[in-house]
Amino acid sequence: MFFFILTNNNSNKMFFLFILFFSTLISISSNSWFGCWIGLEINLLSFIPLISNSKNLLSVETSLKYFLTQSLASINFLFMILIKFSLLKNFDMNNIISIMMNSSLLMKMGSAPFHFWFPNIVEGLSWMNNFMLMTWQKISPMILLSYYFNKNFLIFMIIMNLIIGSLGGLNQTSLRKLLAFSSINNLGWMIFSIMISENLWLFYFLIYSMMIFMMISLFFLMNMYFMNQLFINNMNFFIKMNLLINFLSLGGLPPFMGFMPKWIIINFLLINKFYFLTFIFMMTSLIIIYYYIRIIYSSFMFNYFKMKWMNLFMKNNMFLINLSSFISISSMILSTFIFM
Amino acid sequence: MLIYDIWFLFIYMFFLGNLIFVSKNKHLFVVLLSLEFIVLSIFFFFFVLLIFIDYDMYMLMVFLVFSVCEGSLGLSILVSMIRSYGNDYFQSFSML
Repeated sequence: MFFFILTNNNSNKMFFLFILFFSTLISISSNSWFGCWIGLEINLLSFIPLISNSKNLLSVETSLKYFLTQSLASINFLFMILIKFSLLKNFDMNNIISIMMNSSLLMKMGSAPFHFWFPNIVEGLSWMNNFMLMTWQKISPMILLSYYFNKNFLIFMIIMNLIIGSLGGLNQTSLRKLLAFSSINNLGWMIFSIMISENLWLFYFLIYSMMIFMMISLFFLMNMYFMNQLFINNMNFFIKMNLLINFLSLGGLPPFMGFMPKWIIINFLLINKFYFLTFIFMMTSLIIIYYYIRIIYSSFMFNYFKMKWMNLFMKNNMFLINLSSFISISSMILSTFIFM
Repeated sequence: MLIYDIWFLFIYMFFLGNLIFVSKNKHLFVVLLSLEFIVLSIFFFFFVLLIFIDYDMYMLMVFLVFSVCEGSLGLSILVSMIRSYGNDYFQSFSML
């Protein structure tokens, strides 16, 4: 992604990217809630120039919607910080103030029930901006969520996230919106892993961002934004297999890499007897895998088209594509060899 | 205690600013103005809170700097919207 920015004479985007990275670090490592708010503000200030591009109408509308929701959320967050400060509620986490603070952070992340801006904005951004939005922009709200969360409220929000993320993606034809709803679903898993342990959240988040990076870089190289473009191109075998493996890994099927963090979370859930929540996690994962497989089967397995023209030129990137397939297949099994 | 009645004012101002932000408006500019109104109510609240801590107003200045940055960012987005669409009506959003 740095390569892409470097080759297009976009040195001002590099500048804003640098500030974006630092804003997250400011927000995470501050020792007061006010510092957290400052980090979130700098995050907004530096992300808007990255996505606004004055050459088309779509990016104007996108940056406007992003600005409105995020600024409302961060100003609400600050007001709740001030109320928390004035009422001296620093250690009592199960009250209405923590609900309000968590709501504003959930709005920043794009989690349900505040998710309505997220598929819209994802539709208007390019693939690399989508990658930043889906992975890096979620770090600081989630870590701030882990500092002061209301357990009952968050479990309800997790259930809403899972259901909306799985049911919302059923009627989509745009690949960006599909990944957006999948991202909302994975947010449910990630918020629950915050409540278990921060280490587990970090593990889930790293694996999720690696999987999303592999998928987004593949779509970026093929310049594909919609589902019908999957059927028209003449992809060779390795690219098809890579797409298949990445989709199944994102859905959480066992031999692939994406199963490992979900496995640990389900292990925790079953040991601590959260049976209803386990049921909802499982069933919504099934719906997600259904719509991934629906894409893959009709384009790769049964009765697929083999076009004579529209050849993709991907010879320069075949090494990386094969490497990402290898990582997705084997990393769960190879990780068991670490402790031998 | 009479001194705590002032908090109702802050919550009322904040709530009204939010209400105008989420209401159906014809212009985008009204939304940005309501955002500035919320910032004003938080400024007032912050000021009253900081009076209780020996008049150290430095944090208030930092807050003011960041909210002004945010307001100017909103205005620049308004300008880019007017350059592309010609107006700032909400009806002209049709692409997403």
